[in-house]
Amino acid sequence: MLFRRLLIRLLTMAVTLFGVAVIVFVLIRVAPGDPIAMMLPPGATEADIERLKALYGLDKSLVEQFFIWLSGVVHGDFGTSISLRQDVLSLVLGRLPATLELSVVALFMALMIGVPLAILGTRERGTAVEAGIDVANGAALSIPDFLWGLILILLFGVLVPVFDISGRVSPQLDLPFTTQFYLAESILRLRFDLTRDLIGHMLMPALALALPLAAIISHLLKHSLKEVMDLDYVVLARVKGFSETQVILREALKNAALPTLTLVGVQFTFLIGGTVIVERLFSYEGLGNMAIDAVINRDLPLIQGIVLVFALLFVLINLAVEMTYALLNPRLRHG
Amino acid sequence: MTACLEIAGLSATLANGVRVLRDVSLTVQPGEVRALVGESGAGKSMIGKAVLGVLPPSVHVIEGHIRLEGADLLALPAKERRTLVGAKTALIPQDPLTALNPSRRIGPQMTDRLTKILGWSGEKAEARIRQLLDEVQIRDPARVVASYPHELSGGMRQRALIAAAFAAEPRLIVADEPTTALDVTVQKQTLKLIAAMQRERGTAILFVTHDLGVVAKISQKVTVLYAGEVVEEADTAALFADPRHAYTRALMRATPRYTDPQASLQPVDDAVLAELAAEIATADRQWRRPHG
Amino acid sequence: MAEARIAVRHFNARLWLSGAWLLIALLAAIFAPLVAPQDPLAQDLMLERLPPFWLQSAEPGYWLGTDSLGRDLLSRLIYGGRIAFIVAFVAASVACLVGSALGLVAGYFGGWADRIVSRIVDIWMAFPPVLFAILLIAVFGTGLGSVIIAIAVIDWTRFCRVVRAEAMAQARMDYVESARIAGFSRIGIMLREVLPNVLPSIIALLSLEMGIAVIVEAILSFVNLSISTDDPTWGGIIAEGRLSIHQAWWVLVFPLITLFLTVLSFSQFGEGLKARLDPVLR
Repeated sequence: MLFRRLLIRLLTMAVTLFGVAVIVFVLIRVAPGDPIAMMLPPGATEADIERLKALYGLDKSLVEQFFIWLSGVVHGDFGTSISLRQDVLSLVLGRLPATLELSVVALFMALMIGVPLAILGTRERGTAVEAGIDVANGAALSIPDFLWGLILILLFGVLVPVFDISGRVSPQLDLPFTTQFYLAESILRLRFDLTRDLIGHMLMPALALALPLAAIISHLLKHSLKEVMDLDYVVLARVKGFSETQVILREALKNAALPTLTLVGVQFTFLIGGTVIVERLFSYEGLGNMAIDAVINRDLPLIQGIVLVFALLFVLINLAVEMTYALLNPRLRHG
Repeated sequence: MTACLEIAGLSATLANGVRVLRDVSLTVQPGEVRALVGESGAGKSMIGKAVLGVLPPSVHVIEGHIRLEGADLLALPAKERRTLVGAKTALIPQDPLTALNPSRRIGPQMTDRLTKILGWSGEKAEARIRQLLDEVQIRDPARVVASYPHELSGGMRQRALIAAAFAAEPRLIVADEPTTALDVTVQKQTLKLIAAMQRERGTAILFVTHDLGVVAKISQKVTVLYAGEVVEEADTAALFADPRHAYTRALMRATPRYTDPQASLQPVDDAVLAELAAEIATADRQWRRPHG
Repeated sequence: MAEARIAVRHFNARLWLSGAWLLIALLAAIFAPLVAPQDPLAQDLMLERLPPFWLQSAEPGYWLGTDSLGRDLLSRLIYGGRIAFIVAFVAASVACLVGSALGLVAGYFGGWADRIVSRIVDIWMAFPPVLFAILLIAVFGTGLGSVIIAIAVIDWTRFCRVVRAEAMAQARMDYVESARIAGFSRIGIMLREVLPNVLPSIIALLSLEMGIAVIVEAILSFVNLSISTDDPTWGGIIAEGRLSIHQAWWVLVFPLITLFLTVLSFSQFGEGLKARLDPVLR
């Protein structure tokens, strides 16, 4: 049953990715300007151009070109970056871990802020405390990650300069890492001095990404929790002697968690999308930052590669959310 | 002998000032079963909730005392009251389906008070629960403990809740219409069960019900309630033999009797209701003067 | 009942305050040549990095100070509003029309129409929004037209989803059934019966979308991928402010406040309007 569902989802996923590939391909080909001319030095002869065209298969029909390109992509060949003159896939995979680490840290922060606020708001429902939380939520929700990033730069980069607001790691440090997963490795290697430096750089951009999501979590979870709080089994729990907080944690949270979880999964993809501008704001060397440079340099192969990888990430996360929901659901529902 | 539960002059209002409990006084002695009877909306559940400290946020206690074994619950700080109520009282709820968390198994819902509030060890709690499940005649306690609420029948759920209520050896149990949501055949068995367990342990019970038949079967003392006001109170036998108040008489007439199927159901007489309404209005006016 | 009354009063404040700010900003933008104290493009290195008027070394006539090239900040903000509002109105409207039309069709007719539209929306939503926008800019080049198209192209799905959901809900209601039975055409019903009920949501979303369009434009101009001329943009000013943040904090703070107030006002205005228009809540 679950397996069949998984299969259907994989199929849908494939269709979506195919659609993305088509759109990306069409956009690249539609772009004004001759890609060949961009790749050749000035002063190239007609013959050179024709030869290169044939080499890149640009003399074939559009549909043929698409499938050639697609088969390349499936085999991991995304082409070569025009501006950086390296293999696109290795460039993308080189920067991906940084963005992933930032996103995961941001997600973690959003949960650490949003969930306790929701619980507090539920416990103090009907009081000024809840009203205050609602106002804070409303404000945080209307401020997108871009603005939060700027506000944080102002507050903690200028007004009260506590945190680093630039880069991923202090440049003078010697890094013993083998992969690009700096944060994970620093923890595994017990190099907590490096961890502290990495987190210090990550804190502001992650917070900028986290705050809108924290507001969403806080709002939705509080709503779901409040719905449960007057039910009979919750009343019974109070009679048993549990405090309001205990009641929320023991009885209400489990039932309220599932819809919140699925929303968080979807919002996580938006958060990842937000890394594009937030990384730029904080000069964080991730995939999003590289994407902007790629666009400024009109490095179409690189843009193409980045967009496809992001799309793949989004689709995978949506798949994971759906599967998690299906897994947890039968147990929580009645039979 | 200190009463197990003593309610004195309890008045409660809604946000708009309307009284839902009007100067209610009643006592439950240790080991005694007092029935609290009245029609829907009379406020009997409200009294039970007030004792247990779980009144809805729209209802406010204005005056009066609730003494549990001498301790004035309304005067205690919230935390102490909660601990005391958790240790010495229990609730047998009305609807066994909604009173159980659908996403938790039965076992933990029965043992959590014992282990988390009373500090018992896991083994002791589980042993006690098993013993009680046996007493409520649940044949396969291991399976029940591991089940989710929706996997059991209504009767079984209610018996599990009854077992859980008696598990911590409470001094007072508030039974809030525990048989109302059950089938008629199951009702009788459940009542017998509660009565047997109560007798064996000497637990006091405040038994809320709208059914006079239940009152007759299980209680020694009765308090009749109408619109939040105590209308009559007596020993059960005396009440049935010689009801004093017109409302009590009307209530008895309104109860279908299997012994006399020919007699038609008599709703409570309008005259009686009018008289009661006048009584209540006067009481409210007198009460409002010092209270503004 | 008392609650509803208080709620309405609350909404009114929301509506009027946000509407007021938007009106002021819009009028300032439209009448920029009359309102702006200085020429937004005029550079004067003698007047560089002047602070706002309440600080010591401020210069009269340069209310919010100047940037590193001596250009008046307030004037630049007012002119920047032109770009912001043009993008907001046009891009949001296009996104609204396309998205609502598709959503209405998908939600009301269901079946194949719904399946195709939903598939397209899924594919669309696999693109990270900002990345998609800059990809489109990379393809079509910079310029106001590109920006508008890019925003409309990436965000029509927002309308489509909401309108589709509402149209589906409405399509099941009894009044639609009775219209069918009475013999009205499906398209007629869709336009005459379903659309008016979906309209409050569309309007609220339209206002929200305008706020989003302003933000996206600001992001694009922040990375210098927006308009191709030298005209001031809020994002562009922010980018300058980011660079000179230690020497001239006002160049970052004031466009930030302006941007924040405008975006907040758009979303609150939409919410307030929806509450007013919704016949159920009334």
